[in-house]
Amino acid sequence: MKKSNRLIVGTALGLAAIAVAMDHTKHRLPDPISAEQEQSTMSEDESPCGMGEESSPCSMDSDDTDSSPCGLGD
Amino acid sequence: MNAVIQKIKTDKLIVLLVLFSILSISLLLQYEFNLKQALFFLVGISFGLILMHAMFGFTGGWRMFIRSRHSVGVRAQILLVMLSSILFFPIVGGVFTDISSHAALGQIGTSVVIGAFLFGIGMQLGGGCGSGTLFTVGQGQTDMLITISFFIIGATLGSYHLPWWLSLPNIGKVSLISELGWFPALAVQLVVLILLYRFVASLEIKRHKTLKSFSLQQKNENFLEQLIHGPWPIWWGVIGLTLFGLVTLLMAGYPWSITFAFGLWGAKIWSALGGDVANWAYWSGGYPAKALNQSVLADITSVMNFGIILGAMLAAALAGKYAPEGKLKSKRVLTAVIGGLLLGYGARLAFGCNIGALLGGIASGSLHGWLWLVAAFSGGIVGVKIRVWMKFDKPYGAAR
Repeated sequence: MKKSNRLIVGTALGLAAIAVAMDHTKHRLPDPISAEQEQSTMSEDESPCGMGEESSPCSMDSDDTDSSPCGLGD
Repeated sequence: MNAVIQKIKTDKLIVLLVLFSILSISLLLQYEFNLKQALFFLVGISFGLILMHAMFGFTGGWRMFIRSRHSVGVRAQILLVMLSSILFFPIVGGVFTDISSHAALGQIGTSVVIGAFLFGIGMQLGGGCGSGTLFTVGQGQTDMLITISFFIIGATLGSYHLPWWLSLPNIGKVSLISELGWFPALAVQLVVLILLYRFVASLEIKRHKTLKSFSLQQKNENFLEQLIHGPWPIWWGVIGLTLFGLVTLLMAGYPWSITFAFGLWGAKIWSALGGDVANWAYWSGGYPAKALNQSVLADITSVMNFGIILGAMLAAALAGKYAPEGKLKSKRVLTAVIGGLLLGYGARLAFGCNIGALLGGIASGSLHGWLWLVAAFSGGIVGVKIRVWMKFDKPYGAAR
């Protein structure tokens, strides 16, 4: 039973890895950015806790835009 | 070597495979993106290792408390929220001007109440929460593969229906830090958490005349061996999760979250099958649209989730607990399916799971986190009753 469980989990994770690889190769890689640019854009673009509205609900800064994955991009 | 270590049979093949995978993926992320992306993955690995070695689960802790009033798990969770709040409030409150970070704010309203309630039921039926599902998949529990699959489907469905749910009555987002200032807000929150801790402890004492401590029953005298092979006392888990939660906040600029990635994976799969996800309101703008249109490896939440699975796998293999035996029964399959759907759908409606909404929300001063806690715990009580009704657990009296 333990061997079959390992086989099932291994197969599932293997399939997931293939799916991730397919998705990664499908999308154009981001253009390289300098460390300076990365520092300045990080907090504005990468926030997954609110909604992608005009002002991010994740943020306490009302000027923050285009930023979050928990809600609606309307 | 002491007696505890001699019993542990490390799964060397799995350990080597996981270490090789961690190294390969870290290098890939650094090469394709940047060092920071690789570090997010390694933070995920650390979370997985901590969760597995300390067996830090929200679902089991709630169930034990609801059924038998044993409160070790719940008290550890309260401590985790307290410590995280102490660290997060000044940062989110802008005390350190060089650090830019955001609270995990969610609107307070119908969608959170319903979503968290469904999530609470789903936790008990599915056998895990956001973090629990990931680390038990990493541990090699086959039934949790079903739960996580339907978690993903539920989160995808939730993202489709979310516009309607958000149109229901709500009072918007409330930040305690914005309303009160970071220090008074922290003081109020700590008082509430201490009272909650005492209340929970008093219920255990009332039932059992004693309070269970956080220490392990079986102690290992060799610190390094215990650190590597586990098991860890739960308070090690509290410290570890607090520290890496802080690292996540500082690196990402927002608290640790999990379930956004599940919806993203589902949307990507549906899109690959020919579905028109990009036209769904949720995925048509802002961060979700951006995440949908780039590699899954560019999404921090996804990368951390992959890390949690591999970290838990490493910990399980080191402890000789990888892929535990167990036959999958049809009733368990049914609860995994229903539980997974409720977890995913509920998390999407409620602006996150036990990590993104409860821990991240409360610790960063969002009032929706407290509403989430009340609604999800109520759902948990219903979920525990359903488990008894389905004969997964014995009736309450038998558990005392």
